[in-house]
Amino acid sequence: MQQKLKIFCTDLNRFPAVTMFILLLGFSGYGQEIALSGTVTDSDGMPLPGVNVIELGTTNGVVTDFDGNYQISVPSDAVLQISFIGFETKEIEVDGQTTISVTLQEDQSQLDEVVVVGYGSQKKLTLTGSVVDVEGEEITKSPNPNITASLQGRLPGLVAVQRSGEPGRDDANILIRGTGTTGDNAPLIIIDGVERSSMGRLNPEDIESVSVLKDASAAIYGARGGNGVILITTKKGKIGKPEFSVSYNSAFNSPTQVPDMLDAPTYARVYNEGNYYRNYRDAGISYDDYLATPTQVFYSPEDIEKYRNGSNPVEFPNTDWIGDVMKDYSLQQRLTTQVTGGSEAVQYLLSFGATTQDGNFKKMPSDYKQFNFRGKIDVDINENLSIGANISAILTKREYTNIPNDINFVNLLQASPLLVSRYPNGLIAPGRFGENPLLLDQRGYNTTYDEPVYSSFTATYKIPFVDGLRIDASYNYDLSHVHQKRLSLPYTYHEYNVNTQEYDLKQGTGASTVELWDRYTRYTTKLFNYRLTYDKTFGDHHVQAMVGQETQENTSSYAEAYRRNFVSPAIDQINAGSTDPDDKNNSGNATATARNNYLGRFNYDFKSKYLFEFLFRYEGSQNFPQGQRYGFFPSIQGGWVLSQEKFIKDALPFVSNLKVRATYGKVGNDRIAQYQYLQLFGLGGNYVFGSSDAPGVTSGVLPNPNVTWEVSTKTDFGLSGSLWDGLLGFDFTYFMEKRTDILATRNLSIPSIVGFPGLPDENIGKVDNHGYEISLSHRNTVNELNYSVSANMGYVRSNVVFLDETPNPNAPWKNVEGHPVGAGVYYQADGIFNTQEELDAYPHQDGTGLGDIKIVDYDGDGDIDQDDQFRFDKTATPEIVFGMNTNFEWRNLDLNLFFQGQTNVYTYDGDFANLGNADFTNGFVMRAEDRWTVDNPDGTMPRADTFSPGASTFFLYDATFVRLKSMELGWTVPENLISSVGLNNSVRFYASGFNLLTWAKERKWSDPEGTTALVYPQLRTINLGVNVKF
Amino acid sequence: MKKIILLITLICASYSCSDDILEITPIDQISEASVWSDVKLTTAYHTEMYNVLQHGFKIHMQSKATDEAFNSINWDIGLIPRGDLNANNVGSVANNHWTGGGNVYFWNTGFSYLRKINLFLEKMEITELEFENKDQLIGEAKFLRAFIYFEFIKRFGGVPIIDQTYNLGDEFSFTRNTFEECVAFIESNLNDAIMVLPDKYASTDSNFGRATADAAKALKSRTFLYAASPLWNESNDEAKWQKAADAAEDLLDSGYSLHPDYETLFNQPSGSANNELIFTRQFSTTNFHQAPMHNLGRRYGAYGGWWSSNGPSQNLVDDYDMINGEPPFIYSGSGANISKTVNPESGYDPQDPYANRDPRLDATVIHDESEYHGDTFEMWVSPDGSTYGFDTYKQSSDNPRSNYQMRKFMPDANTPISWQENYTNPWIFFRLGEIYLNYAEAKFELGDEATARLYVSKVRNRVGMPDLPDTVTGEDLRKRIYNERRIELAFEEHRYWDVRRWEIAEDIENRPIYGMDIIKDGDDKTYNPVLLLERTFLPKMSLLPIETNELNRNNNSISQTPGWE
Repeated sequence: MQQKLKIFCTDLNRFPAVTMFILLLGFSGYGQEIALSGTVTDSDGMPLPGVNVIELGTTNGVVTDFDGNYQISVPSDAVLQISFIGFETKEIEVDGQTTISVTLQEDQSQLDEVVVVGYGSQKKLTLTGSVVDVEGEEITKSPNPNITASLQGRLPGLVAVQRSGEPGRDDANILIRGTGTTGDNAPLIIIDGVERSSMGRLNPEDIESVSVLKDASAAIYGARGGNGVILITTKKGKIGKPEFSVSYNSAFNSPTQVPDMLDAPTYARVYNEGNYYRNYRDAGISYDDYLATPTQVFYSPEDIEKYRNGSNPVEFPNTDWIGDVMKDYSLQQRLTTQVTGGSEAVQYLLSFGATTQDGNFKKMPSDYKQFNFRGKIDVDINENLSIGANISAILTKREYTNIPNDINFVNLLQASPLLVSRYPNGLIAPGRFGENPLLLDQRGYNTTYDEPVYSSFTATYKIPFVDGLRIDASYNYDLSHVHQKRLSLPYTYHEYNVNTQEYDLKQGTGASTVELWDRYTRYTTKLFNYRLTYDKTFGDHHVQAMVGQETQENTSSYAEAYRRNFVSPAIDQINAGSTDPDDKNNSGNATATARNNYLGRFNYDFKSKYLFEFLFRYEGSQNFPQGQRYGFFPSIQGGWVLSQEKFIKDALPFVSNLKVRATYGKVGNDRIAQYQYLQLFGLGGNYVFGSSDAPGVTSGVLPNPNVTWEVSTKTDFGLSGSLWDGLLGFDFTYFMEKRTDILATRNLSIPSIVGFPGLPDENIGKVDNHGYEISLSHRNTVNELNYSVSANMGYVRSNVVFLDETPNPNAPWKNVEGHPVGAGVYYQADGIFNTQEELDAYPHQDGTGLGDIKIVDYDGDGDIDQDDQFRFDKTATPEIVFGMNTNFEWRNLDLNLFFQGQTNVYTYDGDFANLGNADFTNGFVMRAEDRWTVDNPDGTMPRADTFSPGASTFFLYDATFVRLKSMELGWTVPENLISSVGLNNSVRFYASGFNLLTWAKERKWSDPEGTTALVYPQLRTINLGVNVKF
Repeated sequence: MKKIILLITLICASYSCSDDILEITPIDQISEASVWSDVKLTTAYHTEMYNVLQHGFKIHMQSKATDEAFNSINWDIGLIPRGDLNANNVGSVANNHWTGGGNVYFWNTGFSYLRKINLFLEKMEITELEFENKDQLIGEAKFLRAFIYFEFIKRFGGVPIIDQTYNLGDEFSFTRNTFEECVAFIESNLNDAIMVLPDKYASTDSNFGRATADAAKALKSRTFLYAASPLWNESNDEAKWQKAADAAEDLLDSGYSLHPDYETLFNQPSGSANNELIFTRQFSTTNFHQAPMHNLGRRYGAYGGWWSSNGPSQNLVDDYDMINGEPPFIYSGSGANISKTVNPESGYDPQDPYANRDPRLDATVIHDESEYHGDTFEMWVSPDGSTYGFDTYKQSSDNPRSNYQMRKFMPDANTPISWQENYTNPWIFFRLGEIYLNYAEAKFELGDEATARLYVSKVRNRVGMPDLPDTVTGEDLRKRIYNERRIELAFEEHRYWDVRRWEIAEDIENRPIYGMDIIKDGDDKTYNPVLLLERTFLPKMSLLPIETNELNRNNNSISQTPGWE
């Protein structure tokens, strides 16, 4: 897929120059029309059907027939352009000839295409590992400024789920091949050779490629590679005159979906029902009698009519909280400029990017700003020595309200429509619990400045007296400052007092005085590595060997200050707060970690046909006790390029490339808390004597003197190739993974009575994992239409083999073991009790009435208790994710459509289940529709205020969806128009969209990617932009 | 060129393959060795052990499990009044649950602190550290150990007695000791503590809140009272009552006196003068509680007990005597079949129910027309339900349905009510008022009714209530003693245990919970008690089950509490 795209893009780049050439030719005048014919063949003399033969600079063109023949009528001085995907494009001057037969050379750039692997790169053709990559250019097609969101669906085996769309907090949760462990599943992210965290915040224009090590190839990252590795490589300078590229785009964001909540009359009716079931149904009072009794019914029919007709908006409002609080859309802008160029000796790249994103609440200090800088320089000091520097910085400012957004969404979506948001006279009302989101701008802010600076200095020395031997060294220093400032202000609202009929000014429930927290955090990473590489071809034998050493030291520290009782919020600095000791507080902490590694890789191939690779890392991690700090993580890999065999070429001539491969190895995962081998005490647990605190110390968990890393044993088999010179490409990988030594506590088998201060993690857990990944691609040219389609899907399923779990002797179906990691326990629902007969005939718990969920008596013992719960087999992490990318290019227009989705995924939504509860939370329209009521005994949804002994499968929904993730339509301004305005290169306008259409199978009330509706929704983005290169 | 190679070599050399960079000691934590070799750290370790003492100002107060309040929720502590508690869900009613669970289930916290205390005592046996107050710290540790065991036995009956520490990999198997063995263990720990601890600190002293000999005596008083009670004294062994009476008597003349004002007894900041307090959990401005915001209503942006689940019940309000000393109601029947009639001698007017009551009613409960913090409360609803007072459940889900709010512990008019205020009024474990009632109860059971009446009357006189007349005797007097505890100690985590140890829970805890509906038509108000919750109590609920998981983890060597198997 990537190969094709690369060609595709190269063609695109070439296009303007070619047009230019034609334009110049055009001025030299036209010749006489002649009939021209010929045959197009490949280098083996085989005819090539479907080849484009175009008169350059015109729309005049034909395609070769099945035997490779073509006929075209062209001027005698025309230039023919002959192009075919997978081959180098040729241009031939007709020069009066009537027959021109052409031999096209296979495109070597495709054969030479490389993929970045750990500590180096490898040719795709001879690659044995399960490594996939995506080009930077493809990522830039997504208008989402967060790279992690743009990666969704593009890399088979990578599961990225974006649970929230809040600007600056929208990093997708990334997993490689799903959840392999009950511990930390986060993959290792390496940016330009160093473990760095802010992948999502990179400038997409800076990215050369993103590749993912999914299998035992990750063993070269030793104790950190167990969850897979994402390698991001940034662009380098190019030899040539300075080339500037500027792109600007501006986008409108709006939520993909905001749930429909009940309006006031419906809400009041639902609440009445809940109140009836709670208090009067069991007493034998009929619903009609209840409605007719003013002291019983909560909202009388007259009141409900007032809520409906809006005659008294102060006392009987019908509030549309979403409409009142949220904006219709918010703005997002991005500008990037980049200049590259250089001589043979010095190449450079400088880039700058700026992104701003607005929030979606009307009254919320929400704003995201990001600036990216990068300077990269590579210098050849002499023919053997080259050095380079790559320095980048990301400056981000995230400004939010200091009320967590999940709370804000609860206060928005669950606020009763019977509460006023804003009185008709303009005064803001308290809302739910005095937390009306319209008050957010009065309540202070929570601003974070996160400003990492990344620096890498590299040197490569080719040892002059040994051909093929070189030393690479790099020193990297990253320094990151995070400054978080949280200001909390007292706020007020007005509340209409029904007795006095006045609007009382009231203090909100938050701060009663101005409070400020200021927190400075500093992170450093020092990484030094050097590698000795030997790369040489001896006849048919190609050998590459690399050994190296790497050390890494990380530190972090923070200091926090707090004051309250500020004289005025006007000066939001610590020194303006009260100096009373009770009004001040501060805290701080620090950590340090280190690693020492030895690593190596050995590759051998014979005629690029038989492939062998061995790689290892001998990793020392300070996380573990002395004497047990080092571990050895090897991987062995082999491949056979069948298409290089003559018998395959003869038997299957349509096969252009075919390879089988297998890998096996051990990778570690040491993402665990530090110092688990020591009994430690922390400060805390103060106790009060008199009226002041006496300091305490608390013991940490018991030590585990044998703590070590998780081990992941990975086995992969793959088959990949391309047919018909690239018309069809495919890749199939099957993998198995066994995780052992997963850290888990024996909580479950050690009684509390011994009183241990927390149990240490021990390496006892076991999880198996298996799955497959498929990608298919097709590309072709029909007349002037170039198009490509590629699709991929990944399936992964985990199975907990051992975890120290509490025995469930009566209900083995509740066990964690034998189910995927993260599988939940539910009661099995079987519709609802519609009739008294059904209810009487089936076991149910006290409190269950008509309209409640029928819980299946799972163990068949005649009553419903905890033993009737079972562990469900699917989780909120999709087992199957898929993506489909299509590109079309026709003359100056290009179109990209990208679909993405997930299936075999279920999410439980307890918030959705709430309806008509005593606590006055609003419910969802889809939940209230067709609910069981006295008047709707055939309803399919449970009654208001439904009773259930626990979470049941009734509210467990299939979260399968397919969405048009992104779409981009571009128009490259024709060369002649550009030259007329004095620009001499290319200008492209485009419109794009993100999350444009979503089809959800069952979760239709809110975005199916989230697990609850009560979070910041994913955003739909409509974007307009322009790219200029000159 | 050479310079560059030299430079690279130098850099490489300086980073050469040394293992040293992996030798990092923790920079933000303390190693175990330093804890036991430094007096300050040893003391800090000891101080932290006090956190085993659970205050009652949690999100869920224990009153929600009793007839003191209407509990509106059917989960967590709402399981108890509904009879839905079992060995699988009892862990959700634990003090270490996020709601505090009314401090009902205390197993895990108790045993984890027991290990801390045992470890401390073991270390003190072998330590070479010499410091002045070592004996005192050991005495305090023993007091805490006794306190833990008392908390255990009132919940579970006899539990395993553990006086040593175990480590990972040790073999162990535990079985329950008897209730009597546990009481003896408590007694011996307290006797050790009394020998080395100072008698008392003034409530204004910077050491107030530390264990004292008087605190140990108070714990003895309560322990022996419980041990003599019907639940644990089937044969009604007088010797047990005698022990209880002696233990209480030991504190009668120790220099404590009843605080003159029943309101400020509970709502003044830690460190205030208060000669009634024997042992409390103190609070500071950095270690504070938010009981007012948990328990007041919407008027103050507070939560009515969270989910409005801690509104005082009509049942409690009914049990406050009239100012003339007479109970307002005469009850007949029991449990779900209880019925009441107005006591004609009391002068109680059902249509003016808050007039002429024991002053402790107004100091404990906010009702319609209460004046509190400068506000007049309004808890009425119009006949058609369309207009209602600002403090009704109709106005906000933060106002309790019972139409009562908690007043005890709540700030006085000088203290702001807001989420940002750091409340420090102490949680009282032992005060003289309780000791008087312990003494009265024990004396009554020993047949000394005059002394019993005297000490009940002392408690009543403090608020201006008349003496119990000499005509109150026998079973009537027992009821008055029981009721005095209910009133005097309301919301102080006594009621739950008292009704159980008295074995009256099958009556009391099966009575439905009522609230008060006040219908206001023009200027006329009518008062209609409203049934809010039917409750279920079964005999096994006198004690708590141990979590099923915990029994499984102990290979079932510990027996489940009777009735819960």
